[in-house]
Amino acid sequence: MPENVTLLVGTNKGAFFFHSDAARKEWRMTGPHLGGWEVYSLLGDSRHGRRIYAGTSHFVYGPTIRVSDDLGETWTELETSPRYDKESGFKLERIWQIVPGHASQPDTLYAGVQEAGLFASHDRGTTWSEITSLTAHPTRPSWFPGAGGLCLHTILVDPTNARRMWVAMSAVGVFRTDDGGQTWTVCTKGLPGVPTGMPDDGVGRCVHKMVQDPHDPDTLYMQFHGGVFTSTDAGDSWTPIENGLPGNFGFPMCITKSGALFLIPLDSDERRYVPEGRIQVYRSTDRGASWAPVGSGLPQRPEYVGVLRDAMAVDSLDSPGIYFGTTMGQLFYSPDEGETWNQIPAQLPRITTVKTWVTD
Amino acid sequence: MEIEVTLPGLLRDSVDGPYPLRVAGTTLAEALEDLLDRHPRLRVHLYDEQGQLRPHVLLYFNEDNIAWLDPLATPLRPGDRVHVLQAVSGG
Repeated sequence: MPENVTLLVGTNKGAFFFHSDAARKEWRMTGPHLGGWEVYSLLGDSRHGRRIYAGTSHFVYGPTIRVSDDLGETWTELETSPRYDKESGFKLERIWQIVPGHASQPDTLYAGVQEAGLFASHDRGTTWSEITSLTAHPTRPSWFPGAGGLCLHTILVDPTNARRMWVAMSAVGVFRTDDGGQTWTVCTKGLPGVPTGMPDDGVGRCVHKMVQDPHDPDTLYMQFHGGVFTSTDAGDSWTPIENGLPGNFGFPMCITKSGALFLIPLDSDERRYVPEGRIQVYRSTDRGASWAPVGSGLPQRPEYVGVLRDAMAVDSLDSPGIYFGTTMGQLFYSPDEGETWNQIPAQLPRITTVKTWVTD
Repeated sequence: MEIEVTLPGLLRDSVDGPYPLRVAGTTLAEALEDLLDRHPRLRVHLYDEQGQLRPHVLLYFNEDNIAWLDPLATPLRPGDRVHVLQAVSGG
C-alpha cells in the first residue's frame, strides 16, 4: 500500500499542511488553515477515519479544539473543549499537546494545557474532563511558569502499559502515573533546580521536551532547560548525556523508531538562538552516550533563529524523515534520518509545532 | 423583540445558522443570555472560567460599551444591535 506523509505545521497565525509520498521529495502545501488562531498543537489521528485535531488559542478569545475530517478543507469547533471548572481557580490559556490514548483505548485522547493541567476525552473528543489528581498534587502551590508559560507540553503514554503515563511541565518537572492517572509521582531526581523563588519540593525543574525509547519503555530522554538527560528507571532518576554537544540548552528533542535521537542546541537561555547563527542538528545513535553534528544542506549563511520545543518531529517510515520549523517560519526536512536537509520553499509565521502523519 | 448581533471574523465558526445573528429578549440582559443559549460555543471565547468577560473582548450595545450600562434595565427596541468587538490590542 502506498504511504502518504502529511506534515502538520502549527504557527502563531494558523496551520499549514504539507503532503508528500514516501519519497518525500515533492511537497504540496495547503493552508493557511484556521488563519489568525495560534495553533500550538496538532494531531493526525487515523484510528477512526482520518481526523485532524488542532489546539487553537488567541490571546483575546481563549483556547478551544477544532477538528477537520477532510484534511483541513473544513473545520468544526468542538462543542466542549477542555476547560477548567470555575471552582478550580485555574485559567486555561493554551492547548499545548493533543495525543492519542493507549492502543487499547481507541476513543481516548489526552490534552496538555496551560496553565498546567491534563485533560482526557474518552469519546473521540466529544467531551473532556480534567484529570484533577494532577493539579491536586501537593506540589501544585510551587508550580512556577517558565518563559513560555506554565504549560504541560509533553504527554507520553506507555505503549506497553495503558496505566502508565508521564507528563512534563515547564518549569515544574516530570510526573508519572502508574495507576491510570489516579496518583502521580514526581520524577525529578538528578535534575537541577531552576530559580523559581519557590520552595524546592522536588519541582522547579524546567523540562523542555521528553521522549521515550522505542525499545525500552523504562528509558526516557530529555532536553532540559540547561542539560540533556536520560533515565533508565522510568524517570525515577536522571543522568546527563551531553558528550559531544556544543552546549546544553535547547528545546526540541525527537527519537526515531530505531532509537536515533535528534536535538538542536541553542546558544543559551539568555540568547535562545542557534550558536553563531548556524542551524545544526545533532544526532545520537547510542542512546545518548555521544552526540555528533549531522547532515548537509542546512543554511550556511547566518540564521539567528530558534526552534521551539514542539517544532521538531520524525515520521514513522522505515527510513525516518526528520522535520523542524524555526521561530522565523522556515521549515526543514531530511528524508534520510538527518543525513541531508532541504528547506520547504515557504516562509511561514513563527512555527510552534510540527507533527507527522503517515497514512495509507 | 429580536435584535441583531455581529461578531469578529475569528468567531464566525463558533456559531451556526444565518449571519448576522438574531437573538430575542425584552432586555439587553435577556438578549445576551439568549445569545449564549443559541450559540454555546461562544461562551468560552467571550467569558473566562470565572464568568468574567475576557479583558480584551468588548460588547457594545449600539454605540455604547455594555460595561457602562445596566443590561437588566436596558429595554430592547427595534433596530438595536449588539456588537462583539476586539479591543484594540497591540501595535
